[in-house]
This record gives sequence, C-alpha cells and structure tokens, in this order.
Amino acid sequence: MGYLGEIFVMAMTAIFIQNFVLSRFLGLCPYLGVSKKLDSALGMGMAVIFVMTLASAITFLINNYLLIPYSLGYLQTIAFILTIAALVQFVEMVIQKNAPALYKSLGVYLPLITTNCAVLGVAILNTTALRSDGVTEYNFLDSLLNGFFSGVGFTVVLLAMAGLRMRLDMAELPKSMKGMPIALILAGIMALSFYGFMGFQI
Amino acid sequence: MTFIKELTKGLIKDNPIFVLVLGLCPTLAVTTSVINALGMGSAATFVLLCSNIIISMIKGITPSKIRIPVYIVVIASFVTIVDMVMAAYLPDLHKSLGLFIPLIVVNCIILGRAEAFASKNNVIMSIADAIGMGLGFTLSLTLIATFREILGAGTWLGMRVTPMSYDPMLIAILAPGAFITLGFLMALMNMIKEKK
Amino acid sequence: MKYYLKLGFILFVFCAIASGILAYINTLTAPVIAERKAREEEETRNSLIPNADFEQKVTDQGMIYYVAKDPAKDELLGYTFIAADVGYSSTVQTMVGVDPEFEVLGIQVVDQAETPGLGANCTSPSFASQFSGMSINDLYVDKDGGEVASLSGATITSRCITNSLRESILDVQDEDQIGGEQ
Repeated sequence: MGYLGEIFVMAMTAIFIQNFVLSRFLGLCPYLGVSKKLDSALGMGMAVIFVMTLASAITFLINNYLLIPYSLGYLQTIAFILTIAALVQFVEMVIQKNAPALYKSLGVYLPLITTNCAVLGVAILNTTALRSDGVTEYNFLDSLLNGFFSGVGFTVVLLAMAGLRMRLDMAELPKSMKGMPIALILAGIMALSFYGFMGFQI
Repeated sequence: MTFIKELTKGLIKDNPIFVLVLGLCPTLAVTTSVINALGMGSAATFVLLCSNIIISMIKGITPSKIRIPVYIVVIASFVTIVDMVMAAYLPDLHKSLGLFIPLIVVNCIILGRAEAFASKNNVIMSIADAIGMGLGFTLSLTLIATFREILGAGTWLGMRVTPMSYDPMLIAILAPGAFITLGFLMALMNMIKEKK
Repeated sequence: MKYYLKLGFILFVFCAIASGILAYINTLTAPVIAERKAREEEETRNSLIPNADFEQKVTDQGMIYYVAKDPAKDELLGYTFIAADVGYSSTVQTMVGVDPEFEVLGIQVVDQAETPGLGANCTSPSFASQFSGMSINDLYVDKDGGEVASLSGATITSRCITNSLRESILDVQDEDQIGGEQ
C-alpha cells in the first residue's frame, strides 16, 4: 500500500472508525456546548481543525527534537499544554491583525480551544500512534495529517449534532428532558450509529 | 460557617457534572467501572486541591496578564506528579485510565475553580472549595459508573451483584451507553429539582 | 517593553520551579516503573517456560527474542518473544513461549485496550490456554479454517492475536535456521 493509501486509512480512521468525539470521548465540552446553532458550530469546527493541525505539527517537533533527545519525557504534559496555549494566543493575535473578517467569525472560539481536550489529546496520541502496519511510528507529515483529519472528524459530528439539535428545538419534550439530557441521549444514538464503522479493516 | 458552605456546595447545589456540566470527557470515558471512577475522582480531587492551594497562595505575586499560563503550569505539574506516582505504584489503574490522566490538565473544572475561586479567596476557603468540588465530581462519577457497571457487566466494584441468569447489557459500558446513561441521570436530577 | 520582559521572567521562574520539582519526582518514580516493568516481563517469561535461563537475542529485523535453556543440562527448552499486531481498537501485544520444535507452550496477552466485555476477554485464561500445543499450521482462527476458537463477538481481536503469533513464530524460526547453518 502506497502512502496515499496510508493517508486514506488515516482519514477514515480519524473521521469514522475512531471518531474523536463519539468513540474516544475527546472534545465533549464544545461538542455539547457549541452545537446549538449551525453557524457557530461551523466556526468552532474550522477553528479546531486549524489549531489541531498546527498543534500536531509543533508538538511533534518539540517531542522529537527536544523532549526525547534530552530524555525529558516527564515534561511532556506541561510542555504540550503550554505550547498549545501559546499557539492559540499567537493565532488569535495574527488573525486579529491580518484578517479581521475571519477574526470576527472565529475569534470568540479561539480562547475556548486551549481547554479543548481534543487538541491536547491528539498531540499526546500522536506520540505513540502507529501506522496501519502496526510497527512504523508517525513521522512529521503523519502527525500533521492526523491532526487535520481528527479535526475534520470533530467538525463532522459537531455539524451533524447542530443540525439535529436545531430540529429538536421544535419537538415537544417532557420538561426535565429539555436541553442537556436530550442532547446527551441524541449523542448516544449518534455514537451507536458510528459503532457501525468500528472494526472495519481497511 | 462559610467554610461548611463552601465545602458542601459542590455536592449538590453546584455539582460540577450535573449542574455546571463541566469536565464531561473524563466523566464519560472512565465511568466503565466503579474502580476507574474512584481512581479518576481521587486523582482529579488531588490535583484540584493542590492547585487551589498553590494558586490562592501565589495570587498576590502573579500579574493578571499571565495568570492563565501560570495556572496551567501549576496544574500541569501536579497532573504530571499524579501520572508518575500512579504509574509507579498503581500500574493497573494507570493503564485503564490511560490518556485521561494527562488530560486532567484540560479538565475545565480545575482551571475553572482556579480562575473563579482560588484566585479570589484565601487558602482555607480554597481548600474547602477544592474538597467540595472534588467530592462532588467523584460522587457523580461513581454514581454514573454504578449504573453502567451493574447494567453492563453485572458487577459492582468487581463483585457480582446480579443473578447469574442476567445477561449483561454490553451497550452500557460501550461509548453510546455512556451518553445515554448520563442523559437519563440528568433528566432524573431535573425532575427531582422541579418537584421541590 | 520592560514590563513584558518582567512578565516573561516571572513565567519563566514558575516553569523552572515546576520542572525542577518534576525532575526530582521523576528520579524517584522512574526506577520503580522500570524495575516493575522488567520484573513483570520476567515473571511472564518464567510462567511460560519455567525453570529456565533466558538469553536475549535480536533478529535481523530488529525483533527481540529470548532463548530459554535448562541451567542444569544446558539443553534448549524453547524461545519466548512478544508478538504484536493492530486489533480492533488498539495494538495487542502477546508474549508467547514455544518449544524447540516451535509448538506453542503458552501465551499471555501483556498489553491491549480492546473493547471491554468483548475483545478485552482475550486476557482470560480460557482463551489463552487453548493455544498450548498448537503448531504453526493450526494457528488460524476457526473462521479461517484453523484450530483457534474465536472469542464470541470479537473475531477481529482473536484473528489479530492468532496471526501475530504465527508471523512472529515464523520470523524466529527463520532466524533459528540461519543460526543453525552457521
């Protein structure tokens, strides 16, 4: 299987088979918090894809050229989270200065991303992830792509959820079910349907 | 008097999971068994307690512009300590919690309490707040895990509690069961609150 | 500008203190972790081939395996090594012991994160014990025409373990034959 095949496997795995939200339980706070409206879900999704891709790339460099050579593995958590926090701040400043229109649509979501566990999660998972042959460790490009596809996977389910919840607003529900409880049950049914993808051997 | 108030508010009134809806990722991911829930709850409580103490102690010397990075450093240090100690002395628990130990760093409860409470109150109050919130978190995790473990594996803390003829509903300990269990529990809480 | 330098300096001091404390705790816990890991591996090896001396060797592909010898008679008792393959939701690592004819003496799953209640049952003794006495030709799951009874609802995990065992046994066998000719 060539490298393109490898990329295809990685994309399918990150988006459907091992979806970050529904089977790994990462990034649930924004998944339930920002899925009330479709356009804010889209903004959040784009911001997450952007930050996850960048964070995967930078944490890969930090891990392989700083932490591993000097055997500082125990500083991984603290180094990664500081990198992500700094990255988010930096991205926010750059976008604010150079693309005010983009900042208007993404800006409010950026600070929330620091505490989105999906971003730290993908960075940590990348350090131990293996390619589909089960032996090769991720290289720089693999990590970057995995970050990107994981972000896409997050956005796909976030958008689906937002679409469903907008419909749900019109449904008549028992009062105690309204809001978070029904959203969680909906997420459960969605997770169930994603189980159909699991275990596919590509 | 206020000490008691800060201590108990996390249990019911401001319960971090059922009322504030914070820290959902570990809540759903590790509640497959009661022992995991207790492990996660105590790890998070320890980190919350230590970071609350340190943050309320250093609140005078941290400029407000860099307070969030400083909080993150404090929290991440304690998380790493928990991670290392657990790997050394509780290897089985460390393995089953896995990725979710380093992810305590981004648990919104801990950063949230640091920012909303410890940075504005003294050490004693911050300790009460941390213990209350930590206990509330642990109890909620245990409650969810109780339902999931009994339904999904027929056991509680590893002991068999259902008759042999009961065939466990696997779905309860798989991912969809996590969402659905929490959904119904929250609805139940809402119902109780309405009745009052 | 001076103000920002001061901010950076304060943050740096916090990071330095934190790193120092972590480094100290790491020196306390790292040996415990490493020692326990080594001891667990050794215990697993000893349970697969009891009363043997183990010597570590590496194949040309970089796979580590251990040659087990009877300490009293200097007689070859077999080999142990770790077989790994991607299962349903994780990489499953299985330690296996084989006799000099490459028939399986026993297996033990040492690392997995498969579905609880389904694939995770691969650690149960009832699944592991059936491998004892199997030769390479038997090492296929029942659905593929072999002797291994799959775990119910977890064919992929069963197949992954079985195939990884077969392939790594073949690897060690090849290595052994090259070694024999020399």
